[in-house]
Amino acid sequence: MAGLIRRRTRAAAAQTERVRQTAHEGFLAYAGFRWAKISGAVMLLVIVSYALIDVSPRHNGGSWYGYTLGTIGALLILWLTALGYRKRKMTRGAWSLKAWTSAHVYLGLALIVIGTWHTGFQLGWNVHTLAWALMMIVILSGLFGIFVYATMPQALAANREQMTQMQMVEAIRAFDRQLHVAAQPLPPAISAPVQASLAQDVFAGGISNRFTGRYPGCATAAARRGLAGVPDAARVMDLLGQKQAALVRLRAHLRIRAILEVWLYVHVPATFALIAALSAHVISVFFYW
Amino acid sequence: MAFILRRVSVTRAGKSIVRDRALAANAVRIGRDGGNDIHVEDLAVNPHHATLSSPDGRQVVVTASAGLGFDYNGRSVERAAFDSASGGELRFGGHRLTVQREGDAIVLLVERVDELSQSAKDVDEVRAFSLRGLLPGRRISAWGFAALMLLAFIAGPIWAWQAYKDVDKRPAGFHADGSWSSGPLSKAHAALKDDCQSCHVEPFVAVTDTACVSCHTGEHEKMSAAHANASTATLIAARAPPGAGDRVLAGFAEAFNRPQGRCVECHTEHEGAGPMIATPQQFCADCHDGMAGRIKTSLGDAADFGVDHPQFRPLVRPAAGAKLVRASLDSNPRDISGMKFPHDVHMDARGGVARMAASFAGRYGFGRAGLECKDCHSAERDGVSFKPVEMEADCAMCHSLAFETVGGVTRTLRHGEPAQVIADLTAYYRSTAPTRPLALGGMARRRPGQYAEGAVYNIYFREAALRPARADQAIAAVFSKGGACYDCHTIFAPASGNNWRVLPVKQTDAHFSKGWFDHAAHEETKCADCHTEARTSKQASDLLIPGVKQCRDCHVGETGARLAGIAVDDPVKSSCAMCHEYHMDGGPPWTPKPAKKRRDVTTITAGTPRDLYSAGFTPRARAGTGG
Repeated sequence: MAGLIRRRTRAAAAQTERVRQTAHEGFLAYAGFRWAKISGAVMLLVIVSYALIDVSPRHNGGSWYGYTLGTIGALLILWLTALGYRKRKMTRGAWSLKAWTSAHVYLGLALIVIGTWHTGFQLGWNVHTLAWALMMIVILSGLFGIFVYATMPQALAANREQMTQMQMVEAIRAFDRQLHVAAQPLPPAISAPVQASLAQDVFAGGISNRFTGRYPGCATAAARRGLAGVPDAARVMDLLGQKQAALVRLRAHLRIRAILEVWLYVHVPATFALIAALSAHVISVFFYW
Repeated sequence: MAFILRRVSVTRAGKSIVRDRALAANAVRIGRDGGNDIHVEDLAVNPHHATLSSPDGRQVVVTASAGLGFDYNGRSVERAAFDSASGGELRFGGHRLTVQREGDAIVLLVERVDELSQSAKDVDEVRAFSLRGLLPGRRISAWGFAALMLLAFIAGPIWAWQAYKDVDKRPAGFHADGSWSSGPLSKAHAALKDDCQSCHVEPFVAVTDTACVSCHTGEHEKMSAAHANASTATLIAARAPPGAGDRVLAGFAEAFNRPQGRCVECHTEHEGAGPMIATPQQFCADCHDGMAGRIKTSLGDAADFGVDHPQFRPLVRPAAGAKLVRASLDSNPRDISGMKFPHDVHMDARGGVARMAASFAGRYGFGRAGLECKDCHSAERDGVSFKPVEMEADCAMCHSLAFETVGGVTRTLRHGEPAQVIADLTAYYRSTAPTRPLALGGMARRRPGQYAEGAVYNIYFREAALRPARADQAIAAVFSKGGACYDCHTIFAPASGNNWRVLPVKQTDAHFSKGWFDHAAHEETKCADCHTEARTSKQASDLLIPGVKQCRDCHVGETGARLAGIAVDDPVKSSCAMCHEYHMDGGPPWTPKPAKKRRDVTTITAGTPRDLYSAGFTPRARAGTGG
């Protein structure tokens, strides 16, 4: 009888796991926000114990409580960094990458409290505060990454309208070929702006163009401005207008992708800078003991 | 003259198909327009871009029409002339025109070499759609930043330490190990800001007391060794058993070479600019809270002045001439100096003493309201404590020892020298018979308005009635009850070879040896507000020192703690260091100078003119012991 119940329980658990996987539960909501709860409890524990524990003369990183928080924080930072290696191996279950990522996100947030309370709120212009600041940059950039992951993909999908990235480029190529043919009989005054449009790389533009989505140097837009109302340019203008629309879609796509990606360009380098500064912080404490 | 136009197209399978066409004209026109001999479908080419001719069948001349030029062997030109035998490569927009000679004919090979548009080129999708190429790569910046950190905050500081480890004073300027400082140094050590090596002598060795006493020489060297002459082992044994956290820290400190009991444990540094922070009472309470249960000690337990402090145990002399011993005020101890002095008689505002003092108003600093404390007790120059009471300065204004006036000069008995008194009186009777009775009275009531120091009276004194005819009678009168000496002193009658003797007076100059009380810090408070029993005290042996309860009328614990039922209007937060000195080097306890110009002074009575209760000390230098 007992064995039967155990079997049923196991079967139910397997069923729950299947349902969870089919219903696509993201890493944020993994296992009913298990890691969010754990992280919240850790933060609460730190804040409450900080207030209750009487450290003499006053809280600072060098008290036993400060050392405890500092050690936990440093080990946590190393473990959080390990996600960079861990993510290259996909596995299932409790140690799945999803579980790992969920823990990474929420324990990373708990690090705000662990690290900041470790300082005893004594900040200054030194390597110790630098390590803290880098830690905050890493955490806040990660927070930004999560925010954009949660909000931007809808905008990305709406902009794409089922097109793949290469289809977007292909559309522009098609308009370019048609423009090339259509402009052949036209005088240089008309063909030159068209050629400029053809000669411009669709991916041209710097980092600021990517993030704003504004391209003041766009040759296609310039051609449309220059050829507006020119008698023989009607067909070309029509094609330029269509190319412009395709460009706008592509550039909106690039902008959203840039926003989705940029946090990693901060998160990853700042993590390595943080680990280096953390080493300096620890070494300096023992060196000038 | 023959030009051959050759076009090469590539099949889907990659096979080249060459088509040649002879051009009859002498001059070949090149352009985008369909009417040209060589029609180039290229928007970068003008409708009629250039003309190619060969005047002699060998030399080739290419001339651009107005507008755009063309490339000849990689250089941008408007006209080119060359021998067809050596050949040449021309470029119009995205097309290449290769000129070469084959037999008699000049072959013009036309090929499209550029894509028709930029977008037609191959796209590396992963790269083109990402931020790669626009931002520094993640890998390179990760290692770059990390290397920068290691260089600036490990290599740099260690280099700075290595470079200056044996110098006393570093040159001014930037020192990389400054970035390791966890906070500014206090005002006392601010000059050492750049000289990390002056305290952090050895790497990975915690700051030692040796580093402290290398500057703090002399008495500091001794004081740094011990507290109350206790050994370090005793000091450590006195500590409260550490909690779990402190045990962890202690184990950690031991494992990492950080011994306990060093100067810097109390004198913490890098806590911010400004005065060094006062040592909090917790440092004292760590040991003194419950210490009696841990080590053998005569000290009472104390943890907080407001709620947990034993009664004061001043030094007192339990018998005349005995050694000073500490006794709790609760046991109502007596301090026997050998004097006779009733405070109540002197302080009674309506008594004879008050009337006499009033008659001297304006002299000796007396007021009209009778005697005040300051009339007899004078403060030391520093205002902290009081001078011993002296007969000549503090009593003789009223208690005259004059016995004769000779030609306007008053003769007085020598105070403090009984043998001399006896000798003087003997001599007086030997030389002449007294014309008047001697004025040697002490306590008998004098009539107001008639007395002054040194004046001689013959009205009341018993000596007048007795009219001692002989010296030994006069001497006995002086030393006996009613005589000038006897009234204030303990007298021993002559016995077994001794003459009259006076018990030497021993005043206790400091009742507190373990604590520190600063009278100057309390100058706005009336003496009698604390020394409440002075007005009713009948004997000199009454100890008029206020108890801990009276202090708690104003003083509360460091954090404001106070006992239930005590109302404090203007509480003075008092840590241990306000009264006690850890190093016990005899000086006042060290406390940071207050930031405010005006010191916090306790006032019990508001609105009373200051003169009324000024105890008459000279204003003290403001430096030193804060109240």
